[in-house]
Amino acid sequence: MNTKVIKTLVKKEFLDVFRDRKTVIMMLVIPVILYPLIFIGVMQLVSMISSSMDKQTYRIAIEAEDNGAFLQKMEEAKEHADEETTDEETTDGKETEYELILVDADSITDYEEALNAEEIDAYISGKLQDGKLQYDVYYLSSENNSSYARNIVMDIFDEYKEELTKEKITEAGLDVHEILEPIVYEEEDIASNEQSLGSIMGSILPFMLIVSLLMGTMYPAIDTTAGERERGTLETILTLPVTNRQLIVSKFFTVAMIGIISALLNIVSMGGIAFYMYQIMDLQSDAQVFDMMQFVPALLVCILTVFAFSLFISAVTMCVTAFAKSYKEANNYVTPLMLVVMFVGYIGFIPNVELNRTMAMIPVANICLLIKNMLVFKVDYTAIAVVLISNVAYAVFAILFLSKIYDSEAVLFGEGKAGIQLFEKRSNLKKGGLPELSDVWFVLALTMMLVLYAGSMLQIKFGLKGVFGTQMILLLVPLLIIWYTRKDIRQTYAFQQTKASGFVGGLFIILGMFCINLVLSTGMIKLFPQSAGNIMTAFAELMDGSFLEAFFVIAVTPAICEEMLFRGIVFQTMKKKYRITSAILAVGVLFGAYHMSLVKFLPTGLLGIVLCYTVYVTGSIYPAMLMHFVNNGLSVIISYFPEQLGKVFPVFYEELKLSDSLILLGVGLVLFSIGHSVLRRNYGRNK
Amino acid sequence: MIIAQHLVKTFIKNEKKNRKVEINAVNDISLTVKEGEIVGILGPNGAGKTTLLRMLSKLMKPTSGTVGIRIGEEEISDDIEIKRHIGYLSNNTKLYGRLSSRELLQMLGVLYGMSEEETGNKIEEICEVLSMESFIDNRIEKLSTGQTQRASIARCLIHNPEIYIFDEPTLGLDILSSAAIIEFMKKEREKGKTILYSTHYMEEAEYLCDRIVMIHQGKIISEGTPEALKQQTGKDNLREVFAELIEREGIEDEH
Repeated sequence: MNTKVIKTLVKKEFLDVFRDRKTVIMMLVIPVILYPLIFIGVMQLVSMISSSMDKQTYRIAIEAEDNGAFLQKMEEAKEHADEETTDEETTDGKETEYELILVDADSITDYEEALNAEEIDAYISGKLQDGKLQYDVYYLSSENNSSYARNIVMDIFDEYKEELTKEKITEAGLDVHEILEPIVYEEEDIASNEQSLGSIMGSILPFMLIVSLLMGTMYPAIDTTAGERERGTLETILTLPVTNRQLIVSKFFTVAMIGIISALLNIVSMGGIAFYMYQIMDLQSDAQVFDMMQFVPALLVCILTVFAFSLFISAVTMCVTAFAKSYKEANNYVTPLMLVVMFVGYIGFIPNVELNRTMAMIPVANICLLIKNMLVFKVDYTAIAVVLISNVAYAVFAILFLSKIYDSEAVLFGEGKAGIQLFEKRSNLKKGGLPELSDVWFVLALTMMLVLYAGSMLQIKFGLKGVFGTQMILLLVPLLIIWYTRKDIRQTYAFQQTKASGFVGGLFIILGMFCINLVLSTGMIKLFPQSAGNIMTAFAELMDGSFLEAFFVIAVTPAICEEMLFRGIVFQTMKKKYRITSAILAVGVLFGAYHMSLVKFLPTGLLGIVLCYTVYVTGSIYPAMLMHFVNNGLSVIISYFPEQLGKVFPVFYEELKLSDSLILLGVGLVLFSIGHSVLRRNYGRNK
Repeated sequence: MIIAQHLVKTFIKNEKKNRKVEINAVNDISLTVKEGEIVGILGPNGAGKTTLLRMLSKLMKPTSGTVGIRIGEEEISDDIEIKRHIGYLSNNTKLYGRLSSRELLQMLGVLYGMSEEETGNKIEEICEVLSMESFIDNRIEKLSTGQTQRASIARCLIHNPEIYIFDEPTLGLDILSSAAIIEFMKKEREKGKTILYSTHYMEEAEYLCDRIVMIHQGKIISEGTPEALKQQTGKDNLREVFAELIEREGIEDEH
């Protein structure tokens, strides 16, 4: 390969990219301005909070039938606090930790009111009960001051109790020390200060690096591929006596180098902040001392991984953006990629994921884990090698793919696809029709993210009602987007009337499917027992509501919401763009993946395929809704009435024997083919 | 000299759903353009002009057929080598807006394998011919339409090619700018260069071209000097010749 040609091309790309303000800003602003700004802001906030806490006075009221014993204790504590104050003022000029004001309990008529009005921060009542003093501390957990006051009071109680215990023991003529401390134990953290610091940094640093690299490479990647097409210079460069390989390699080098530069800027900026923090901590007398030199090897490996990762991420981003004809379109393609990368990048935050051989092969995750490991001084040379080599290897594959793209005239000279309409002004959009495929992908990405994060939180917190919430996400997000892009709801969701035979056929098909899936599920559970266990418990937890509630949430809502998403907007759009078999398969895979479980993937995927097929044949979503309803409804009924149903259909509850499986499979297939032939007969062979 | 034989270019177009339709944008075209000759390609929109010119300048690979050039006695068939001898200009060959014309030309010089001195001299020469002194160091995105067009021509001249392929070079230009381009082509013809260009402007083609190739639906429907075409159809200007030929073609299609 002619290095002179590549050098010239790289030089050109560099000039071109660096004269674009957007790239430069993206590259510089985040590390050089944003980080320090965030850091300063956080520092300010912390010092504001701590200074406001330092000067705090707490007002405490005591009403106790203990002849003022505890009041006296409080007075002592108050003096003690005052003493500490003067001590500390002389050492490092810090403000008072706290000041206690004992409010006259007689002035308080209703302690709840007083607490709520913040007249007092804590109220202590002490009553004699069965000859024992019972103290109650009332406080307002929603108020920080009140919580602190409670902590102080509780500390004093602990002290007071210990004092009394000691007194009693002495009274009984026993040895205080022996009784109270029959054994002695202590804990000691053998992690060096550096290791502790490293483990904190290890969870944040990799993620920040990955995001900054992604941001740094994104714009040059778009600029050199889609940007070049948008500006119409691609054809110009194709007239030159330069091979595609040379062209791509030089573009790739440019993007990767810019990525590296921006990542290094990020490291320097973060390092600078860390160093500054270290200086501040060093000034404080009791601060831990770090030997920053210990981090040098980690930093070196870090830089190496940044190199490898920037090769990888540049190549992958360029593969995605190369398909786009404009900035806007490229942005649409990059957004899902970003989501995926960031999602995988979160692995650094998960505590128990280790860098094993498999993880070392997974892009993005391996980088996170490697940096994390290096920062806690866990050095595994093989892992380092595997991570670096796999990243480079993926980059090479991506470049080969990229040169395939640049060999394709359909991509180079073809019409660009429409971008995400969601990002256009609503008034500019044409009314009616089906959504664009890119919109649908965006909708899917968005709803899946929401379901994953918001949905799972809802389900943990609200159980069945949370499932309903998840279903609403599935329904409302696409609906909102369809409304915004002014699409035809009827067409998008295939809300078409259809013959009764469509429903009858669908019913037979789903009953057959149910039997087949019963057998399949048993097989899957045997294959992945652990995953199956998780589902069982999750399912059992969901079924805590009444039957009707469960029936509504699990059978009725998904039949509407999931169908409208998968068989409606997604399938209808894909049907238009892809071959019918690929569209049906794609929706099946998506539907299976949506259930987020290894065990469920195959049965739900098949279910998805069958539902799609029915929608395709009947041209209407309604039969599929009925089928989905029957399928889920059967599950709910089975799990709610084990006793009644167990007598008639023991197969649902026992582990399937081979003979049972075969019979079920046979029955399923028969039902399925009856349904299938009903559809065929009524909807013709051509459809 | 350009020698194209039996060029076919098939595109696969995605029609509705799973149906894919094959369209021959260029359907068996053979063509020769000699040194010192200007050949004009005429045809309605979608006739396959751009696809043909892209194949001739090696931007696109033909589905079948061959493209070769001859420089003196030397036959060249390697894609990259052919590109070294062609100056290609179309409405899709935009310039890098963030570079100045001089930077662009210097870069191109290296890519065409010229020495630094050679490139420098050539830039001076082009600058004088196209009177670019006033804006050669400005960023291209800041230039006017006419200046940009001159910079584009400069791009085609830098490697002193023997063959020019221009796709609608005068489209959307004012009279002065297009006159300059026409003059430029005439001068280059005098130097013995091979020139192939497409246009929609009949008067321009009639004035400039030694030979005219009419294409329609990917095929050559007629070919010859402007005079010969007029005689063949019995019309007295090229505009009518063009209309007549397309109309005949349409009738033949129906039979």
